[in-house]
Amino acid sequence: MKRVDVARILGEETTTEDLFVSSIGGILDDWWNHRPGGEDNTLSVSILGSVSSTALGLAIALPHRRVVAIETDGSMLMNLGILCTLGAERPPNLTVVVLDNGLYECIGSAPTLTSRHADLRLIAEGAGCLHCMDVSSEDALRASLRSVLSDGELGFVVAKIEPGMEVWPAEKRRYTDGVEDKYRFIRHVERLEGIVVHASSPHV
Amino acid sequence: MENEHEQSRATGDLPTYAVAFVDALRAANVRLVGTLPESLLKSVYVGIDRAEDIRLVRVSNEADLPGMLAGAYLGGMRALMITENSGLRQACEPIARLSFAHHVPLVMVVSYRGDFGEPNWWGHNHAQVMGPLLDALRIPYRIVDRIDDLASSVEKAFLHADASQWPVCLVMTGECIEGGVA
Repeated sequence: MKRVDVARILGEETTTEDLFVSSIGGILDDWWNHRPGGEDNTLSVSILGSVSSTALGLAIALPHRRVVAIETDGSMLMNLGILCTLGAERPPNLTVVVLDNGLYECIGSAPTLTSRHADLRLIAEGAGCLHCMDVSSEDALRASLRSVLSDGELGFVVAKIEPGMEVWPAEKRRYTDGVEDKYRFIRHVERLEGIVVHASSPHV
Repeated sequence: MENEHEQSRATGDLPTYAVAFVDALRAANVRLVGTLPESLLKSVYVGIDRAEDIRLVRVSNEADLPGMLAGAYLGGMRALMITENSGLRQACEPIARLSFAHHVPLVMVVSYRGDFGEPNWWGHNHAQVMGPLLDALRIPYRIVDRIDDLASSVEKAFLHADASQWPVCLVMTGECIEGGVA
């Protein structure tokens, strides 16, 4: 199972009603091509270590909506303390999916510490997170997603993936920057929720 | 100033500044506060814990807060973070790479550890770097030292952050901290 397979299966198991916060790196183009509905439903934060925290805030703000954090081992390892907050708060509408290849693949495949003895599932369990599981096959991933996305509780799925980056043609690569992403995400949330998140300043 | 490291009172009356602080949050429609608690605003955390309409989420590192508040903002919820001013240093990386890179507003409230008259030797460095750091980050900030200014300062902070799509910071001292004086 490779990263693009996780993106494809996650896209198939979620809907246009869901919201996503993703990491940067190899997942960007894979998820851009597999996100449900081709909607502006994903904020890809431009920093390792803030994916799950951003998803937590979104899940708290919109408790009736499913939120999925698309994490990576490098991002998770950058800021493991967030697992303790997730374990304390246990937002029932949040699912964390970690793409764990044991590598910083985008920058030349230097190993991450999950390639040694660090076990993200065990760390998450120890931090109090619920429904923590490892999967390494497409069938197991699909089954675990169906479970954690429908049980109404926090879920934490570590997808053990093989190295390998999908090379997308230019017309299928994500072309937006962080500011445009934010505005597109805001307008999507506004349409989805029927709320106003940001209105330009009044002329007073 | 009373013993700052005394265990926060879980029951009993809160000091005036803490009551006014929670009232200011409520008036500004703040529904979420993320914090790594410290001592200068300790009664504020007790007050928020008691407030059924404001959720208090504790983190283990201030670096978790810009992300969490960005998520809340994108979901349409007013939220702010409260830390000691030392927490600014921990939060620098997500401020630069998330708040700045995506132009996401962020309202930070920090206690002014190391303000003039600071009795703790370890607190002075926090004040020495706070102003230069906020200036380097190009984050507008205001020092709030009067209880009467709390409500308007919190509301203005949200207006400024939202209109500029940029972080702002309120620095609490004087009447607006534990055992403080004008």
